[in-house]
Amino acid sequence: MSTEVLTSVPGNIWKVLVNVGDEVSEGDVLFIMEVMKSEVNHNAPVSGTVTEVNIQNDQEGVSPGTVAIVID
Amino acid sequence: MIEVIKKGLETSVQDYPGRVGFLNQGFPPSGPMDSWSFRLANLLVGNDPNEGALECQFMGPSLKFETEHVIAICGADMQPKVDGQSIPLWESVLVKAGQVLELNFCLNGARSYIAFSGGINIPSWLNSKSTFHKAGVGGVEGHAIKEGQKIPLGKSHGDFGKKVKSDAIPEMSKSGLWEIEVVRGPNDDWLDENGYKTFLQAEWKLQARSDRTGFRLDGPQLTFMEKAMNKPPEHGYEPSNIIDQGYPIGGINLAGQTPIILVNDGPSMGGFIVPYTVPSASFWKLGQAKPSEKFKFIEISVEESQEMRSAQTELCTKGSII
Repeated sequence: MSTEVLTSVPGNIWKVLVNVGDEVSEGDVLFIMEVMKSEVNHNAPVSGTVTEVNIQNDQEGVSPGTVAIVID
Repeated sequence: MIEVIKKGLETSVQDYPGRVGFLNQGFPPSGPMDSWSFRLANLLVGNDPNEGALECQFMGPSLKFETEHVIAICGADMQPKVDGQSIPLWESVLVKAGQVLELNFCLNGARSYIAFSGGINIPSWLNSKSTFHKAGVGGVEGHAIKEGQKIPLGKSHGDFGKKVKSDAIPEMSKSGLWEIEVVRGPNDDWLDENGYKTFLQAEWKLQARSDRTGFRLDGPQLTFMEKAMNKPPEHGYEPSNIIDQGYPIGGINLAGQTPIILVNDGPSMGGFIVPYTVPSASFWKLGQAKPSEKFKFIEISVEESQEMRSAQTELCTKGSII
């Protein structure tokens, strides 16, 4: 079953830390957003393999609720 | 009493109009960025409109209620739920002891306000419950709320099922373009004519590097009067530099070529020109704008800005609650 990881805030994508094919464990930081001069970590809700990465470093103006990463 | 299960993104206690009267000592007013929604939330639960309430930014908190309370949520739609059931905005709701209120990310707008009947029972500092986290004062232990904290509430006395009249609800931008009123000055003779024209014609993009201190904008280059280009060295190197002055709340500070709107937690002084100032009645729009949304500035007179403020104050009264 695939799990979508959504962006939780509006803002910029600062760093994407995973690529398609990477194995991740629950709690790993997948990507970091920047808003209000703060870094907002987005962690893996489940363990599995990254099958989609829909964001890139320095991407601006990303809406909250965007499907950023899919884990299978 | 409520317990913080998830803190959200810099959720803090604010009151209205905040810590007014101490800017000369370096303390900004703080207070809610969208004081219109904030005051309506308090009125819905039977509080004085100025009472302390929570400001949620972009991503709201989860709170467990230890006692039954009437609450109201106004402002941005952060998809509020009580024990998994959606609850309406702009309406007072009863939350029972043991239930969990959960807010998520903002669907429209950027800041949501949770008011609790009886208010937030914390001491004031310099006459205000507002959090000013840079100095670690006000609010709950001087900072945004943290997981595991317990926040004391006053005794609930409000009624649930109260609503805000539809014509008293501020309307969020659907297009992502916000028209923001500005008053010219205090430094009204440093840009040249073309500079002022460019400022008002441009659509300025709100940077993600914006917070309750300042809103940084991206846009065109501005041009200056001769006196800004050729001045004694004590005025600084940039054309926008001047000898240090006090800054108004809402002043649009021109840092080099980057306009920064000094908002609720902004600095009290510095050495950049302030060609325009956002009047208090327009602050709610700043509070509800998201990064990468656009601002178009509309110049109005001081008298018009005062009329706007009076009209907004009139809307933030019991007459708007049904």
